[in-house]
Amino acid sequence: MGRSGSVRGWVLRLAVMAVTLAVVGIAQAADPEIPLVIEKNRFEPDVIKVKAGAPFVLVITNKDKGPEEFDMQSPRIEKVIPAGKTMKVRIPALKPGKYPFVGEYHAETAKATIVAE
Amino acid sequence: MGATFVVTLREAFEAALVLGIIYSYLGKIGARDGFSYVTRGGGVGLLASLGMGVGVGYLSGPLLDVGPDIVTVVVMLAAVALLTWHAWWMQQHARLIKSNMQHRIDEARAGNRLWVVGLIAFTAVFREGAETVLFLWGIVAQSGGGWGSAIGGVAGVACAAAIGWAIFRGGQRLSLTRFFSVTTIFIMLLAAGLLSSAVARLQGMGLLPLSEPLWNTSWLLGDGSLAGGFLSGLIGYRAQPTLLEVCVYVAYVILVSLLLFARRTPAPVGFASPTRS
Repeated sequence: MGRSGSVRGWVLRLAVMAVTLAVVGIAQAADPEIPLVIEKNRFEPDVIKVKAGAPFVLVITNKDKGPEEFDMQSPRIEKVIPAGKTMKVRIPALKPGKYPFVGEYHAETAKATIVAE
Repeated sequence: MGATFVVTLREAFEAALVLGIIYSYLGKIGARDGFSYVTRGGGVGLLASLGMGVGVGYLSGPLLDVGPDIVTVVVMLAAVALLTWHAWWMQQHARLIKSNMQHRIDEARAGNRLWVVGLIAFTAVFREGAETVLFLWGIVAQSGGGWGSAIGGVAGVACAAAIGWAIFRGGQRLSLTRFFSVTTIFIMLLAAGLLSSAVARLQGMGLLPLSEPLWNTSWLLGDGSLAGGFLSGLIGYRAQPTLLEVCVYVAYVILVSLLLFARRTPAPVGFASPTRS
């Protein structure tokens, strides 16, 4: 029992930690919201200007018939947005600079950049 | 068609790698009766993937915004714990084999509850499974010329499965000690990659402090490329890792190497807890 108990204990601890983190995450959700639309496998707008040093929330609406994955390398954010859904993606405070991202399922056309300044 | 082939092959590669190693491990220690645990674990992972793939279509609000992320991170961390545990067990077996203690291997086998390999199979399939389901379903749902892409997507999964099968066949040919040392290292690097990836996700969610990428090798090998995907599955390659990701990766490899390979007298099997670190 000792060994399997310890594995179960770990899984449980991780789960509790995750839920705690999630609650913290949701509680912080009073940041400015910026709309972003996915249509015809493109992002609109494809350049998003934000204030550096302040977190914000991208409100992404997928108007296409298929899902799209919001995929940013740095910071690492991957989020599948089902067809016809609107999702909020919280972006942590960014330093001034350009932060490109793609729609992974249509990476040739769905390209956009967040410009923090 | 080519693009969807690459996406699903990349997504399914890691699962195929893990399943290939687990099946060969069981074959090696003469525990073929444990295959059904792996198959069932993988099957439940597939069902859970389908469930989540369909389920997110019905969710909304904060549950949709953060729910899938949390599930992903929890599955990643659980996989790290399980794989570490498993690597420790394989190392114990390797030691016993070297000292010709076949009867102790059998004891160890009895101690290493087989449901753990089932759980490992579950996390391996479920981790990328929901995304793959969503992706394939999206292709089929999209009107016009979707079928070529869908076939490409299915071919990608099939190709990954073939790689897993090849690993299984190859694993059967390796000598027992070599198999254990090679796969222990593979599993350790894979788990290190998973752990740093989970850290990156937590940074992206703003739950861990964000830092600049330490380097950027996107020009050399992008995360979206096939080779980048393979290396990511094998050793956790990232084109733009943050300082924290790199530190966690290195710390994990050092700590677990010490745990697995430090010279010491074989501990009595069954008392140490390998996930302590």
